[in-house]
Amino acid sequence: MYRLSVSPHIHSKASVSRIMWTFIVALMPAMAASIWFFGPRALYLEIISVATAVITELLTGLLLKKRITLSDGSAVITGLLVAFNMPVSVPYYVPIVGSFFGIAIVKQLFGGLGYNIFNPALAARVFVMFAWLPEMTTWNAPLTTSGFSKLAGFNFSIDTITTATPLAIAKMKGMAGLLTEFGSKMGMYKDLFLGKCPGCIGETSALALLLGAGLLLLTKIIRWPIPLSYLATVVLICLLSGNDPIFHLLSGGLILGAFFMATDYVTSPMTPKGMILFGVGCGLVTMVLRLKGGLPEGVSFSILFMNALAPLIDRYFKNPVLGVKT
Amino acid sequence: MKIQELSKGLFKENPILVLMLGLCPTLAVSTKAIYGIGMGAAVIFVLTCSNVIISLIKDFIPDKIRIPSYIVVIATFVTIVDYVMKAYTPELHKSLGIFIPLIVVNCIILGRAEAFAAKKNVLDSFFDGIGMGLGFTLALTLIAVIREILGAGTITLKLLGYGWIVEIPHLNPMIVMILPPGAFITIGLILGFSNILKKR
Amino acid sequence: MWYSGLKIKTFRTGGVHPHEYKGLTEECSIINFPVPQKVIIPLSQHIGKTAKALVKKGDMVSEYQLIGQKDGKISANVHSSIPGKVVDVVMACILNYQVLSVVIQLEGEFKTGNLKKDEWEPLKKEEILKRIESAGIVGMGGAGFPTDFKLSPPPDKKIDTLLVNGVECEPYLTSDYRLMMEKTDEIVEGIKIVKKVLGVRTVFLGIELNKKKAIKKFKDRLTSESNIHVVPLKVKYPQGGEKQLIKAILKRQVPSGGLPFDVGVIVSNIATVYAVREAVLFQKPLTERVVTVAGTIVEKCGNYKIRVGTTVSEVIKEVGIHGPIGKVIMGGPMMGINVSTVEAPVMKGTSGILFFSEKEARSIDYSFYKPCIHCSKCLEACPVNLNPSMLSILGEMEKWEDMKGYHLQDCIECGCCSFVCPSRRPIVGWVKAGKALSA
Ligand code: SF4
Ligand code: SF4
Repeated sequence: MYRLSVSPHIHSKASVSRIMWTFIVALMPAMAASIWFFGPRALYLEIISVATAVITELLTGLLLKKRITLSDGSAVITGLLVAFNMPVSVPYYVPIVGSFFGIAIVKQLFGGLGYNIFNPALAARVFVMFAWLPEMTTWNAPLTTSGFSKLAGFNFSIDTITTATPLAIAKMKGMAGLLTEFGSKMGMYKDLFLGKCPGCIGETSALALLLGAGLLLLTKIIRWPIPLSYLATVVLICLLSGNDPIFHLLSGGLILGAFFMATDYVTSPMTPKGMILFGVGCGLVTMVLRLKGGLPEGVSFSILFMNALAPLIDRYFKNPVLGVKT
Repeated sequence: MKIQELSKGLFKENPILVLMLGLCPTLAVSTKAIYGIGMGAAVIFVLTCSNVIISLIKDFIPDKIRIPSYIVVIATFVTIVDYVMKAYTPELHKSLGIFIPLIVVNCIILGRAEAFAAKKNVLDSFFDGIGMGLGFTLALTLIAVIREILGAGTITLKLLGYGWIVEIPHLNPMIVMILPPGAFITIGLILGFSNILKKR
Repeated sequence: MWYSGLKIKTFRTGGVHPHEYKGLTEECSIINFPVPQKVIIPLSQHIGKTAKALVKKGDMVSEYQLIGQKDGKISANVHSSIPGKVVDVVMACILNYQVLSVVIQLEGEFKTGNLKKDEWEPLKKEEILKRIESAGIVGMGGAGFPTDFKLSPPPDKKIDTLLVNGVECEPYLTSDYRLMMEKTDEIVEGIKIVKKVLGVRTVFLGIELNKKKAIKKFKDRLTSESNIHVVPLKVKYPQGGEKQLIKAILKRQVPSGGLPFDVGVIVSNIATVYAVREAVLFQKPLTERVVTVAGTIVEKCGNYKIRVGTTVSEVIKEVGIHGPIGKVIMGGPMMGINVSTVEAPVMKGTSGILFFSEKEARSIDYSFYKPCIHCSKCLEACPVNLNPSMLSILGEMEKWEDMKGYHLQDCIECGCCSFVCPSRRPIVGWVKAGKALSA
């Protein structure tokens, strides 16, 4: 008797772990940037968050008698993204609770990888944000020198001054306030692009994030439609409402959200048309929240909001089956 | 037998955890332990009284207008509770707010009237009302305690100046737990646990 | 380039690029496979009704003798491939399902010497069709549609084009390629015969670009023929699927549930065309075919002309296998069916027999599939633009009826979706089950 199985009998090299580990590699530049700009404490937060995520995944897997899916690396991604979404000064229990919430409640209780409705990292961020609003909205200015030099000294204290994020300044004082803060417009763009501005540790450096996003796009792990339509919608709304589109693109968590979180497979639509709609929706909600909402930033909420709609979008925006008249 | 009618409401047929009745007051008022107890007491009173009355008059009510009649009976007791609370525990009354008058349309009460009191004798209905009310109070208080501990770092058991407010030390409360999302998360988890226990 | 002037075509939706593995057998000329001691000839090697058995246990048969009579319109004759004694007429396990089969033990001699060659030009269309019918020709690309039925489309369908399918997009397989290289003239003659039957003006011969030699050979050979065009096609699986081929070459879309003749096209496979010629010129029934035998553990990989009914065990004996066999696949690796016993016979539609080692077989183990992560890779790969993810999720929950809402019937079972799925989900398995159970 030989082995029996259905066709096809050969397979491309694709596997879930390969996708997830490439994703982790793509997050590395941003991680390096976080340490560079915010010092060793950023690294510490990331390690704690990832460790919590991995341990939670293991424990909940055992408890719920699921197949343990640690090796596919999705828990590591969630842990990293949770840490990326926090200011450097948060107490250490915040990433712990966040990662636990993301993995245990948002992911595992909904059925584990592939069944969750919401992006675990984003849901976790929003949860801890509402749990500890003051801690989650205390921002520190980036270090003036490289944070790597401090790694050896195990100096985990925060010694910079607290300030406001560019988006908050824009909200309170408008463009004029931004210009006094950054000096010139070009200087502001440069600082925002490199990541030299207060914000969540993983979201400030557009350069590092774009490097990782480039890798993901090249390896075809993420596709163009979602990030492109997301960013295009933001630019369009900025132009229509007379805001500075480059500033809005580079500030806040937009790049991180558009390339790394809105593109999450499980919680985004599957057809190209659906993806574009999803991206446009994210852009719309983000800009409405940024310009009219009570909080300065709206990326997490917009993506979570569209996550909820994704199954519906999938239902109504199917690919046209060849040969079937509509 | 009577004891069964009493005890089934506590766990086996707990209105919140098993029958999933009366969820909106549960979501809304379970932010402090004392609110849970106060709301529970109001529901016990209304539920027991209305159960008894409805069971007494069930044979005289024409079938077609039975729901309006039940509502009239229930509303009477709710009004009594409302005014009594307003008079003696004004702060509690203020916190529970609209959810006291809303007991009229609370599905626990209407549901028990329709499903139990309208079919059984007076004594059974009486015990059923007390049991169900206690079950409701228990579940509501449980949820409220959890949410209050996590969301405010305290357990409030203080009414009219009597009782205590327990403070949990070294806890940075998660505000989200006393906001609506916290209610959904807590209820969801508790439902899940009670389902696991039931399957055992 | 040497094929300049020819436009390279392909279908647009979906498709994948599996590793080809054609080098194993590409240069192996066709060799005659030794006469087997025993053959198991299934009476249903085609779509449609099983042929009626004409022989019973103990009968003596000669080579080419009719042993199964075509039953109804969609059915095909079956002939004996060796002279001998019928040892049994039983239900045998063929490709993992039971089919009435005739088992013949080799006995006596081959009496049929050289077959007489006719001219085909004077033959009438009806006569040609009759010869094709009595020779029991079916589509040899896999599906096994009776060829005489295919070549006589209903009169209300106007056929204007014949497509000859020389694509052979499945990895490993090179049997059609070898036929094209070695029997170029015969195939051209066969094409002309089919063209006459259909009364069409234009013929396209589609060949994938990884068979450059064949393209060149046919192009040179066909310079004098103005109506037969060679079309080089991009290497992409499933380029050889009927609907994909029509789309690629003619840009016509076969409607859902329809057949190629709905858009005025008939598609015929290279091996079938070759068999048609033999049937018409020599009145020779279809009792043997070229089969690619390949695999990393096969000692003598090659293209063998094998008699229908020859069992896998005889093939193993002849080609030599080193190491334990993990999987035996009849057909190509993408759509082929793997068999569990060595008693499975070669049939009219068997274009290849592949032997996988234990390790290769284990590397694709669908019993350890993971949950769908909605990566949409399968949606991109599906040549029909279906939603294989949804089909697989519904299949996993055994909601066969609901699968119909996702156009289950339009799936061509090409396997592209499973091929790319990072969770290694046996989507094609669920689709097949769904088709069987939702009807
Ligand atoms: S097997 Fe069916 S669903 Fe899968 S890619 Fe092929 S046609 Fe699409
Ligand atoms: S390729 Fe596999 S995992 Fe990805 S969407 Fe399709 S079925 Fe799901």
